[in-house]
Amino acid sequence: MSALPMTLNTTAESETAKIARGLRERDMQLLADLVERCQHRLVRYLLYLTGTREYAEDLAQETWIRVLQRGSQYNGRQQFDPWLFAIARNLAIDYLRKKRKAVQTASLPDDHDAVLLLPSSGPSPFEAAARSQDAMCLAGRLQILAPLYREALLLRFQEDMSLLEIAQVVRAPVTTVSSRIYRGLAILRSAFEEGDSHGG
Amino acid sequence: MEGDKRFRELIDWSFAEEISEGERQLIRDHIRDCDGCKRYVELTARTIRGLREFTFVSGPDSNAQVREILAHHTGALRPRKVQFRILAAFAVALLMSFLGSALVYQVAKLLAVPMHFDISQVQPGVLIFWLLPSLCSALCLLAAPGENRGIA
Repeated sequence: MSALPMTLNTTAESETAKIARGLRERDMQLLADLVERCQHRLVRYLLYLTGTREYAEDLAQETWIRVLQRGSQYNGRQQFDPWLFAIARNLAIDYLRKKRKAVQTASLPDDHDAVLLLPSSGPSPFEAAARSQDAMCLAGRLQILAPLYREALLLRFQEDMSLLEIAQVVRAPVTTVSSRIYRGLAILRSAFEEGDSHGG
Repeated sequence: MEGDKRFRELIDWSFAEEISEGERQLIRDHIRDCDGCKRYVELTARTIRGLREFTFVSGPDSNAQVREILAHHTGALRPRKVQFRILAAFAVALLMSFLGSALVYQVAKLLAVPMHFDISQVQPGVLIFWLLPSLCSALCLLAAPGENRGIA
């Protein structure tokens, strides 16, 4: 029974090692494969982080350029996706900070949570992407949910990342990540609770 | 109530991370008799299902655009190995320029006396016509075309 997980683990390790070697050598075929595999999820993550498709597309391109330039920093000991998403996240935070400083003369709080607040005006990326009544019900809540909760929830339940992988993306302890998920879930769950109580 | 709180934490864990089969069974047994926690499970499951029902449609040429940008940037970035080889060749060429010039400087000094040349004129000549071309050759390595283009 234990042979299968061991085999899968070894395969996963060799996969990350292969990616690390390919990035060091700037293997274009490998990069093209990674783009094929991750670009859609990367843009989706950045869209939910920044709230604007245009930023998301630009930042995704910038992320891949960083991967190309700094590929040798990926050591292959962790999964590739969290490493990629962490780069994207840092770029998004830097970009949003610069952009908001340019717009507002008043100084912003320096924490990431404030920087990642979605713009309150304009179409919500969640409403545009909602494909069911329940998703539509959550869309409004996600728009105003604390960004760190929203991010943890989306990484866990949209990207299917483990808590450890999310911790690598957001550079926070696993316990912090799990507490963000539970708090976020509690807030979103209340959308249905309220809806049901209003409905009868 | 305290018991329910503990179960609800366990229910949250069961959705967000791995729990043991024993703990799963514990939840199943509990919600059979507790309507509040049963509803909690249903709402949590509904919330997570809702979170999975956001479908983002990416642009048709999004991947192609990225590949094109990467191809463009790869041309500008040389592989590290090539960069290292060029730097090593430059260092060797530089070393040989100075060592060779020092040797030729001494030989010129030795030959100038029997040939009745003025040492003060021969030695600067050697420096100009030997050391400078050598240095130029070494620098040319850094400005070689194609894959060996300069690092500046």
